[in-house]
Amino acid sequence: MNTLKLSFLILISTFLFSCDINDNNTDADNDIEVPATYDFTRNGQSTVSFSGQTARIKMSDELFSAMSDFDNTTEELLLQMYRNQTQDGGNVDPFSEANLNSSDKSIKSKVAASRDYFSSNASLSADVKNDFETWLSGQVNNVFPNRNQLAEPGVAGQIADGSRERYINAQGLEYDQMVAKGLNGALMADQMLNNYLSQAVLDEGSNREDNDNGTPDGDSNYTTMEHKWDEAYGYIFGTSANLANPILTIGSDDIFLNKYIGQVSEDSDFETLAQDIFDAFKLGRAAIVAGNYEVRDEQAAIIRESISTVIAVRAVYYLQAGKKQIDAEELGSAFHSLSEGFGFIYSLQFTRIPGTDQPYLSQNEVENMLNDLLGDGENGLWDLQPSTLDNLSQQIADQFDFTVEQAASN
Amino acid sequence: MKLPMQICRLPKTVRRLFCFHKDVPMKKIITLILTVFIVWSCTSDGPSGPDVDDFDREAILVNWADNIIIPAFTHFSETTGTLHSDAVAFSEDPTLQHLETLRESWKSAYLAFQHVSMFEMGAIMNYRDFLNTYPTTADSNSFNPEEKKTILENIETSDYNLELPSTRSTQGFPALDYMLNGLAENDDELLSFYTSDTNSENYRTYLTDLTQRIDVLANQILNNWTDSYRDEFVSNSGKGANSSLDMMVNDFIFYYETLLRKGKIGIPAGVFSGTPLSTHVEAYHSKGFSKALFNEALDATQKFFNGTHFDSNQSGESLSSYLDFLNTMKEGADLASLINNQFNDARDAAESLNENFAAQVESDNSLMLSTYNELQKNVVFMKVDMVQALGISITYSDNDGD
Repeated sequence: MNTLKLSFLILISTFLFSCDINDNNTDADNDIEVPATYDFTRNGQSTVSFSGQTARIKMSDELFSAMSDFDNTTEELLLQMYRNQTQDGGNVDPFSEANLNSSDKSIKSKVAASRDYFSSNASLSADVKNDFETWLSGQVNNVFPNRNQLAEPGVAGQIADGSRERYINAQGLEYDQMVAKGLNGALMADQMLNNYLSQAVLDEGSNREDNDNGTPDGDSNYTTMEHKWDEAYGYIFGTSANLANPILTIGSDDIFLNKYIGQVSEDSDFETLAQDIFDAFKLGRAAIVAGNYEVRDEQAAIIRESISTVIAVRAVYYLQAGKKQIDAEELGSAFHSLSEGFGFIYSLQFTRIPGTDQPYLSQNEVENMLNDLLGDGENGLWDLQPSTLDNLSQQIADQFDFTVEQAASN
Repeated sequence: MKLPMQICRLPKTVRRLFCFHKDVPMKKIITLILTVFIVWSCTSDGPSGPDVDDFDREAILVNWADNIIIPAFTHFSETTGTLHSDAVAFSEDPTLQHLETLRESWKSAYLAFQHVSMFEMGAIMNYRDFLNTYPTTADSNSFNPEEKKTILENIETSDYNLELPSTRSTQGFPALDYMLNGLAENDDELLSFYTSDTNSENYRTYLTDLTQRIDVLANQILNNWTDSYRDEFVSNSGKGANSSLDMMVNDFIFYYETLLRKGKIGIPAGVFSGTPLSTHVEAYHSKGFSKALFNEALDATQKFFNGTHFDSNQSGESLSSYLDFLNTMKEGADLASLINNQFNDARDAAESLNENFAAQVESDNSLMLSTYNELQKNVVFMKVDMVQALGISITYSDNDGD
């Protein structure tokens, strides 16, 4: 048999093999009933609830906006928005939306607070929480007073990015981008992947037994396990226009994970990601209803890999965008991209390799990467060399199933 | 593994092309695959003809630099010099006569600017945004979504730094338009701001600060071109994204698409907002100069395409001659001619427009829209067909909005 024939055979068998894997919605091997949309009911009433996640996305959104409101924002206000209370635990009303003020939820309490990663690592949790406070304070104390100064190496101020202005610190970083992109990992991904999708949380105490018996959680209509799963769902889809069918508007419902899942899925290299994530949430939730915990955990694994991939793709994307912009001498645009990249790299420490209790890049590796990003000279991004950006991009891509080029074309 | 999985998630119609049932005879499958391979291999070669590399790219760069760019910046800096000295004369003696002289200098310099606005290479990054960001944030009634300090606030406080990017909408030609045409309904009232107003000294200072800033920028860019950048530009005559030709073509098409098509016509006509915005026309306060500026810019882009010298009708090597050298055709027609005809069609469409685009938007916006449509056609010819023929990649893209 010559090589040509052999390659045909391989080609054909690949097609036939892959086409045998049907993307069926109902699994014949068990009794999982998968609805078309994320609708689950018991006794005619919905069992889906994730209002706390919706609240935290909205709080994060207001916090981000407040960071660039030079005329009205104070350091105290930003810290109150982050904590939703005073330093001493007193009541505050920092948000424009009343029900956020009256909520007992806060951003800070859920930053670096997952069961799997932080329940026995309080000092690291505190470090991460403090990083965000440092950035919030830096915005008001370093960037605000210099807003009417031209930024230079080592000097905070403003710099043009096309027809807009960016406000950066002495290292060239935008604190508001670090906070917003950092929350993708430290709040949303960590809570979702390492807390609510964790077996330690889903199967805690009598959760399995209660779920098997349909025993509700207190006065609620849902079981505890159902609710935990929904809370993971809420960190992506909590502000979607159609909460049960969020794929319709994926990418435009928040400025956090929803946005970036949408953006990454627009790249043909990753076009099934958004649908994969939604389908996995739906099937996993249906599996919980059917008491099939094996299928549930398979879906959690898909979500962990997919969300981790989104964060990594965006990290590489922004590093490569920054490289091109430095090359074109568009420094303002480059600093903006790289500030976003900083936040996504920071978020990598909260990713999760399925089947392990490890992130794709450890806290230590992330810290080293961020030091590298700012370490080509004493003035951080101002001194950054393109080769450093290529090294960092490769370092990330090496841990995933995509190439630097695929991520850069996103 | 990954690719076939994805293919099988494509819509059924597409999936059928790739995913066979087991009962389809193997022979048919092989025949199909063979056919695909044969068709593919027989069409991968383009039509034979002149090669892009056989053309002297440096000759284009020389023509651009020596006969278009440097003469245009030289002329521009002469007009900004006159503009500034006339502004100084007016501020020392704010009479109607001096005002009218200054208005004429402003018009000459603004027209001259239309010939250099497309050239960002060798200039201070984003310099044109310092010279021509409009609508200007004049006063509390102005379009000002980011709540920037207004011109009037700058004047009242005397606290401004025109080098800051955030002050771009309070300087340049649009700010001068407001200072010379928009402060009041009539000339007597306008002059009183410079003579009897409690802040009259601040008005006069702001005016000359504006003209000085324009003049300084114009001279900086001209000097950079003549001192060193000209040789750097011309010698960078290779291929690829960082070559002079590729970068200039990107800048040129970006300018045509964004500054000319969108800024001068599309935005005021409401193409991007759904609502016509008459206050967003160029030189809004002049009430009659927007069309002249548009025509000048359209002429300048067409001349650049044809390599026509700045101060004569002579032509040198250009994008047009490069396309002709390659015999570039589109659907049976010569591409360079198509582009030139399209420039002419856009000019013809604009012929019927009011001298004052704001009045045109308010009276009959459909004429603005038809001009826009003609301009749009050349975006396709240049941004798709021309760059494809020349082997140039478009590397700019819109900001992702955050």
